[in-house]
Amino acid sequence: MKNKKLVYVGNNRPIRDAALKVTGQLQYTADMKFPHMLYAKMLFSPVAHAKIKKIDTSKAEALPGVKAVVTYKNSPRIPYNSSMRFYEHKIPETEYLFDDTVRFVGDRVAAVAAESLEIAEKAIRLIEVEYEELPAVFDPEEALKEGAPEIHPGGNKVAEIKTEAGNVEEALAQADYVFEDRITVPAIHHCAIETHVAIATYDSRGKLTVYSPNQNTFAFRIIISKVLEMPMSKVRVVRPAIGGAFGGKLEAVIEPVVALLAKMTGRPVKMELNRRESIVSTRTRHAGVFYIKSGVNKDGTLVAQDFRVILNTGAYATSALNVSGAMSHKVFKVYKTKHMRFTATPVYTNTPIAGAMRGYGSPQAFAAQQIHLNRVAKALNMDFVDFQLKNLVEPDGVDPRFNSPHGNPRPLDCVTKGAEAFNWASRPKTEEQGRFKRGIGMAIGSHGNGCFGAHRDVTAMVLKMNEDGTATLFTGTHDMGNGTVTAETQVIGEILGIDPENIECIEADTEATPWNLGDYASRGVFVSCNAAKKVAESVRREILKEAAQLLEVPVEELDLVGGYAVSTKDPEKKATLCDVIVHGQRVNQREIIGAETFASPAGVTSYGAHFAEVEVDTETGKVKVLDYVAVHDVGKAINPMYVEGQIEGAVQMGIGYALTEGLELDEKGKVTNNSFKKYHMLKASEMPRMQVLLVEEGEEPGPFGAKSIGECSTVPSAPAVVNAVSNALGIDFKDLPLKPERILKAIQVQK
Amino acid sequence: MQLIKLLINGKEYEVAVKKNWTLLYVLREVLDFTGTKCGCNTNDCGACKVLIDGEAVNSCVVLAHKAEGKNIITIEGIAEGSKLHPIQEAFIETGAVQCGFCTPGMIITTKALLDQNPSPSRDEIVQALDNNLCRCTGYVKIVEAIELAAKRLRGEA
Ligand code: FES
Ligand code: FES
Repeated sequence: MKNKKLVYVGNNRPIRDAALKVTGQLQYTADMKFPHMLYAKMLFSPVAHAKIKKIDTSKAEALPGVKAVVTYKNSPRIPYNSSMRFYEHKIPETEYLFDDTVRFVGDRVAAVAAESLEIAEKAIRLIEVEYEELPAVFDPEEALKEGAPEIHPGGNKVAEIKTEAGNVEEALAQADYVFEDRITVPAIHHCAIETHVAIATYDSRGKLTVYSPNQNTFAFRIIISKVLEMPMSKVRVVRPAIGGAFGGKLEAVIEPVVALLAKMTGRPVKMELNRRESIVSTRTRHAGVFYIKSGVNKDGTLVAQDFRVILNTGAYATSALNVSGAMSHKVFKVYKTKHMRFTATPVYTNTPIAGAMRGYGSPQAFAAQQIHLNRVAKALNMDFVDFQLKNLVEPDGVDPRFNSPHGNPRPLDCVTKGAEAFNWASRPKTEEQGRFKRGIGMAIGSHGNGCFGAHRDVTAMVLKMNEDGTATLFTGTHDMGNGTVTAETQVIGEILGIDPENIECIEADTEATPWNLGDYASRGVFVSCNAAKKVAESVRREILKEAAQLLEVPVEELDLVGGYAVSTKDPEKKATLCDVIVHGQRVNQREIIGAETFASPAGVTSYGAHFAEVEVDTETGKVKVLDYVAVHDVGKAINPMYVEGQIEGAVQMGIGYALTEGLELDEKGKVTNNSFKKYHMLKASEMPRMQVLLVEEGEEPGPFGAKSIGECSTVPSAPAVVNAVSNALGIDFKDLPLKPERILKAIQVQK
Repeated sequence: MQLIKLLINGKEYEVAVKKNWTLLYVLREVLDFTGTKCGCNTNDCGACKVLIDGEAVNSCVVLAHKAEGKNIITIEGIAEGSKLHPIQEAFIETGAVQCGFCTPGMIITTKALLDQNPSPSRDEIVQALDNNLCRCTGYVKIVEAIELAAKRLRGEA
């Protein structure tokens, strides 16, 4: 197999279900209907922090057509964590289906299931609640202060996570200069165009089935079976198509409630959040306050760096520990610096719940670091690209904490290639035309490939051959439109010598597909495509055994090419896969099927460098990104067209993070930009010219050398844009997003 | 309830609707045209676009009874049987489809644009997409798809 020319891996292939998507035939959860289905609606808290003094549901219950009303009074009181990932996962359990206390504007108070949506909506309005308001706190630094309102017993500090290498104090003391900054990043909304939706059915055998566009069916099964006290064999979680997720559908947000309503009524129940509810009451990216200190020498060597981060987890813990943990590791993967420390403190506040979101801590950490370092380089009178080239890890670099190799890190290649494509060196750094000022900026970033080192990281798969030489794959991958399952078929096609088109896929269903840790942590390519490779290799061995018998040639002599088993010595000796499989059935009376479990053997890192040119209108404060280059170290692109697509989408998200997005709260803790009209995600007309380039130098443990892209691609984006704006105006911006008001204010201060 | 007639994809449907029901609601919940998506219900995302007398319109803000007597085309009416429309093919081939939730709306917008302007400039394409949000693609391959479709419909590729 070595050095064989790749036939399917490396091809541009449309996503498998594209034809269903362009015709409207693909069924998303909201498109599904069951006979006698009920419609559910949630009542959300209008206050930021309160004890529910009285709740009267009698009027709602009396409304004809209402089948169930649930509150904390009649729902199971079992604490859980909606971001639990595996059975014995130990993370703070601060959530209940419903509680007698509400902790943010948008917290769950009650839910109704009724014969129609109209009735459910009416019933929700008939629920009478008396709140005894408690003091609330919205700022994470305030929440840490003594005397701050306590949101959960034990105080608002969820934990403190610290990780370090070398001797930071000493290195800082010896550095020629020390720079310090305070940088803040906002909470943002995932903006998947499909809102959160779920359907649950409960039959007379006591079997619960939950359909939801989610990223982790197996974990959802654990959570639901726990809170409803049902055996796992009686809980099935199915993932229909996902209309975008970006981490927002990784945590069990509404599913446990919908499951409860189905169980109570014995009827199928559907709940579909509207956009406002999705923005306010699901999850956000963690907002954070970063204190960064860097020690640098005159020649630009970064000798030490100290991060202290206060992360706003919102009203409940959910991913607080996971995200802080993940975030704290990433910064050790990029620079040669030996002395580094990262301290993360996730904190409760009475604000919307933060959770998983594309990049999982990296966008925040690198935004802060790269904005800070842009200023450092400027202060040293050093070009930022030169600064990067001086400090970035080389391919043989190691993590200074454990002296463990990074794998094949190529951030240097990304920077060099990007700087060239962008004409970084020859482009004017700033330009001024009347009220318009232009500037360029860049940033680097990285993200991981799975959960190796943190906890188990396993994907299992089943692959079986059909009589005609086509195949069926059973995969627990939750494709979100990023094309992971398509990539799996390319890998399998490569190993079996069959067109990926001829591999049908059964996806993410706790009862139809083998276990998968879930689609997060950029596991799709590095871990799950590896699992696809492993199961394909196992099936290949069985095919070859049968073929050897059929063709009467030794197994070692055989290869699988273009739908044939063929002798490498005598190409005349060949049989179609159809003949081989049928031979297996007829002569040896067996099915050609493989089941394999793949456990990730390594934690490697993906890298990227982004370059942006912006134009600032100094009269309105509006920023337009004009030109953009993104370069990513992906090891090997299995499907280059979709790798590009990931990056292009990530840039849209990153520019939004830098300039236009960010949840805004009023003084009562209510999200004010709670619609697409007010929450500004970028439109087509606001996107820059964009060039995407790949570095494909191979990552040994990855399938065909491939590593992740989906999350990493959004990491360098925001800081590249912010740096460009800072450079354009000669102002160091330290708080995201750079909305026009903020820019105008800064220009005024500058004057 | 009021009985109305809607002409959808060339076929007439008689439906009983309430005064405040939107066309999107009737399409999805009453008539099972679920290819038309709902991303906001507030006129801001374009996932619910349908053609009404050739114009791409957000069906979430059109009252169903107001659509009586008009020619409505949904995403289900773009292909001819199992033969995809060149716009659909272009979206597939260029990788303009990721999660697919914005895709029906994008295709409807494209259809309206190319019917009116067979040779749109890049700027005109981007302007036409002004009311269609996508979170997956950064619009890059969507614009490419529209350019390719336009070319093919002009018989140039
Ligand atoms: S659903 Fe109609 S514009 Fe978003
Ligand atoms: S493809 Fe997912 S929103 Fe456009």
